[in-house]
Amino acid sequence: MSKAEFAIIGTGEVPCGIYPNRSEFEIAYRVAKLAIADAGINKNEIGAVLNAAHIMGAEFNTEAFFGRLPEAIGAKNCKIIATTISGGGSSFSIRKTAEGILRSGETDYVLVIHAQRFSQFTANEQINFFAHAGSDLEWEVPYGMTFNALAAMMTQGYMAYTGTTIEQVASVCVACRKWANLQPNAMFRDKPLTVEDVLKSRVVAYPLTALMCNVLADGGCAYVMTTAEKAKKVCSRPVYVLGEASDFSHRSIINFKTRNIDKMYEFFAPVAQKAYERAGLGPKDMDIFEVYGAYPITSLMFLDSLGIVEPGRAGALVESGATSPGGKYPASTNGEAMSFGHTGTGVGFAIFVEGVRQLQGKAGKAQVKDARFLIEDCGGGAFMDAHFTVLGNEIPSPAL
Amino acid sequence: MDLTMREKLKQKMGCKDEDFIKPLPVAAPWSKPFWDAAREHRLTLKKCKVCGHIDHPPYLYCTACSSEEAEWIQASGKATLYAYAVNVYGVPFAFMEDLPYVLALVDLPEGPRMISSIVGCDPKDLRNGMELEVVFDDVSPEITLPKWKPVSN
Repeated sequence: MSKAEFAIIGTGEVPCGIYPNRSEFEIAYRVAKLAIADAGINKNEIGAVLNAAHIMGAEFNTEAFFGRLPEAIGAKNCKIIATTISGGGSSFSIRKTAEGILRSGETDYVLVIHAQRFSQFTANEQINFFAHAGSDLEWEVPYGMTFNALAAMMTQGYMAYTGTTIEQVASVCVACRKWANLQPNAMFRDKPLTVEDVLKSRVVAYPLTALMCNVLADGGCAYVMTTAEKAKKVCSRPVYVLGEASDFSHRSIINFKTRNIDKMYEFFAPVAQKAYERAGLGPKDMDIFEVYGAYPITSLMFLDSLGIVEPGRAGALVESGATSPGGKYPASTNGEAMSFGHTGTGVGFAIFVEGVRQLQGKAGKAQVKDARFLIEDCGGGAFMDAHFTVLGNEIPSPAL
Repeated sequence: MDLTMREKLKQKMGCKDEDFIKPLPVAAPWSKPFWDAAREHRLTLKKCKVCGHIDHPPYLYCTACSSEEAEWIQASGKATLYAYAVNVYGVPFAFMEDLPYVLALVDLPEGPRMISSIVGCDPKDLRNGMELEVVFDDVSPEITLPKWKPVSN
């Protein structure tokens, strides 16, 4: 049965997209204010301000390391600051930090902030940075490795060894876009997308086309976390952390623990299963599947691991419309990196905050009706790790 | 070097001469023997003398048993193609003149998997599982990159 020690009581987010005149500082201050207001607490009750490092932003990081955020927000009683980063898994590692602070009893309220702005960098700087993020500087980058090439070879292998079609891969982008079209903060909120559009777009790294690749953008979000006990007193609809589980595999994809691309679920699925068990729930109890998706292949590998489809068949599941709005397995309801926009470490933050909004009934047009429980995941680097979290707007009663 | 293309990139993308310098491996003390051997057109792997584990990439000590007693063994120079990508667009400026180029996961019979280039092959002829053999690309006086090409029948 779930211990449900912690809960999220408010979130804030700004539109994701290319906004060169909006600094990452402005994003951070804005989302902090929105989250505090949404939580319905006083800013002076915040005892810890945590942020995720800006993966390319040296100035923002230096300022955050030395206390700019609580000062600018006016969090007068802040006691602890910390910046954490573990690539795409940052949203999870920062949450574990927040849990540790709450468990210590030093404060009842932790504010978690994510803000990044990629439009300040040239395309070449971005490509070079992400080549290093996913690939080894000594052993891979000298060959011209890029993050897109990494996703492309994983997609090529996944298709070859599972029989997944390129149309099914493209359907992941389309399902994400359908969700993004319901999201006011999504980068591609106004643009519809078809499988034909995806397949006709320029090939970037075969078999990946341009529309299968995420777009780096500017954006951010924040949330306020407290203990479950406190949340029940101060919030009409807290979202409880019911179960979490993690695992780490490697730095370079060449050392992935389960080795075969069509067997990656053998690494991911036990982690998801552990999160379900810790929550005292199972796949059938989930109303939403907030799957991390930097590329279609990422979504497919995670969907393969959730106990809702036979591994290797996630492409057919997505192609059937099951993960799209109105489907049986609503997944990645903010449109994810491919359609919401990729804000570096923020991809995991955005999907987490969207999950909280869904369970608080604040997801607007994208709202999944009567959603009670969901599973969320994130991971970073070259598929280096996986973190699954089961959230709920109620604490399930123990099985009889 | 196609200077016309380079000039076009400079004008269109605003890149500078230094953007066209390809990144080269910077050896760590524990990987230097690999690059020294590659310069002599030999493919080698770091093998633990205590437990026999082969680490690629090599590290300071064995990732299986932590022993620092290791030897560098000669690899067979054979591999199979596990999966691949054909880069067509959106690569660092330094690699734009090479487009299209193939990057792949290749499996060595000695155990390790590597990310490397596949050369001497039309991308259309690539097949998962095809047999490969190592070739050496002397990219600078100090650095030679092992790459792979299909075994010719």
